[in-house]
Amino acid sequence: MISNQVVLLPILIPLAGAFLILLLHTWKVWQARTAFAVMLLSLVSSGWLTYQVWFTKEAVIFQLGGWIAPYGISLVADYLSVLMVFMSQLVLFLGVTYAMGAKDHNIKYPTFYPLFLTLGVGLTGALLSGDFFNLFVFAELLVISGTILTAISDDRLGAEAAFKYFYISLLASAFLLLAIGCLYISYGTLNMADLAVRIQTNPDQPLLYFAIALLTATFMVKSAVFPFHFWQPDFHTAAPTAVSAMLSSVVVKLGVYGFLRMTTLIFVDQSQELKLLLIVLGVVGVIFGGLSAIATQNAKRMLAYSTLAQVGFILIGIGWGTMLSIAAALVFTFNHSLIKAAMLMLAGSVASRSKVKSAAFEVITGVGKSMPFAGMLFFIGCLALAGIPPTNGFINKYLIFESGINIDAALVVILLASGGLLTLIYTMRAFQKIWWHPLTESDHLKPKGDRLIAPSLLILLVIAFGLWAQPLIQYSQITSSWLLDPQNYIQSVLDTIITQGW
Amino acid sequence: MEILTAMAIGILFAIGIFQILRRNVIRSAIGLIILSNAINLFLLSTGDFQGILPAYVDTPAELRSDALPQALVLTAIVISMGGIAFVLSILYVISSRYKTSDLDEIQGLKN
Repeated sequence: MISNQVVLLPILIPLAGAFLILLLHTWKVWQARTAFAVMLLSLVSSGWLTYQVWFTKEAVIFQLGGWIAPYGISLVADYLSVLMVFMSQLVLFLGVTYAMGAKDHNIKYPTFYPLFLTLGVGLTGALLSGDFFNLFVFAELLVISGTILTAISDDRLGAEAAFKYFYISLLASAFLLLAIGCLYISYGTLNMADLAVRIQTNPDQPLLYFAIALLTATFMVKSAVFPFHFWQPDFHTAAPTAVSAMLSSVVVKLGVYGFLRMTTLIFVDQSQELKLLLIVLGVVGVIFGGLSAIATQNAKRMLAYSTLAQVGFILIGIGWGTMLSIAAALVFTFNHSLIKAAMLMLAGSVASRSKVKSAAFEVITGVGKSMPFAGMLFFIGCLALAGIPPTNGFINKYLIFESGINIDAALVVILLASGGLLTLIYTMRAFQKIWWHPLTESDHLKPKGDRLIAPSLLILLVIAFGLWAQPLIQYSQITSSWLLDPQNYIQSVLDTIITQGW
Repeated sequence: MEILTAMAIGILFAIGIFQILRRNVIRSAIGLIILSNAINLFLLSTGDFQGILPAYVDTPAELRSDALPQALVLTAIVISMGGIAFVLSILYVISSRYKTSDLDEIQGLKN
């Protein structure tokens, strides 16, 4: 396999764009337009990467600086990374589109778009890196940009929520560094493929299980799994709408990616307990997230709790660990990003119409009366979250239940189904409150809210992937069977040929 | 030397965790600094730590310390410095808004 520089593009384009936009800080309109163009370019490049991986049927790999695999840093775009990168770039692109039409004050800060793009760089880089330390660096970039974006939110509580999150995630990255140290002292490498080989040949190092535990804790904080979730609803509620749509849809998927890599590549032989833990915590997350979402009095907070529940479904798919269930988890990951981003954008655009900018139900009850189109979109989004047929949410739930029934996990499937019913309760309640109830303080609506282009495109994709799910399912099944043989990844990284020039 | 290093890192780690759990925001920020230093020392000691000889070309191989963890530590120091600067600036905003440095009195998120 030949080292290929295309992998760099989805990282380099937004990074270069961020600095370019920082230079344009006096021209606000051009900042937004440049950000749009840069994200479009970056989306195209990641689409090209996906195309290459899908049609050449092998991973695209770049060895930075021309150092061969275990010694240098590798950027690996295998089936899994490419799917996640394409998903992230798609949602980030639509996030920039939403930000361009948003009425928030923080959009006008000169650092908003640069930070938005570095958020994308951090996420893409973490998904593409084939090296643990590189993953740490990109994850920190992601965390810092996300936190600053929340701290500058219009919501007064933004700084507090950012503080809360940043403490937790600094601790999580401290754990990640400790895990890196443990792995390095035991195996002398940080390259994931090389690490997988060395762990397979020598699984008796005393620090190995310690490292696994620390990595598990890190990724659980990153994707807000049940006992580590407490920062997530505050953080996702206080963030500006365009940002919280990213945080709650694609950024939480970094932890999912980490668990996939841990269970299918690095710690394959040691992952039995981890998988069991993922199933248990996933079920608890589904039930707890659903109940908490019913109990909250704020539309964005409700959607943040719903993310907790939906990530639970994905973790259960990873925990079962069969070909079908991992494919289901991948489909769920992709589709949930689209649905959740759309829902949060719609909730945010409703909140932008009310006098006080807040998504609390007492403020936005009845606001929807004057925006019927948003109501239609929100209703479709509700159906998708609950998993009702013409949408892609149905495909998600169907695949998860099917893979559960295939391995006779009846109890988990029943619990999941009841958790799924909770989704229907809270989404429909939110829909009724916003669109059916009469307006409490009638005269105070702002004439214009955020533009609905981005959520409409996302809902269009939601329906499209619901009606035409075949390519995504097929791709996920290929990915899943590719992942289940760790030799695929290991060989493609370690056997890369470095060629001179381009 | 090895035992001494291990104990020093352990004690720093304990102090860091203890300070992070304090109610005073300044103390907990200092705890974060101490904790990140403890982890950096741990990373440094993963490089086959002899404590005396740096990784020059002509150092005997068995006495040489591994250079990679040092590079990792440099990166980690820079990142934690940025992170802590940001934490302190947020702390400034929050404590000037609530006129307190006690975490229990900062309750805006409790609805």
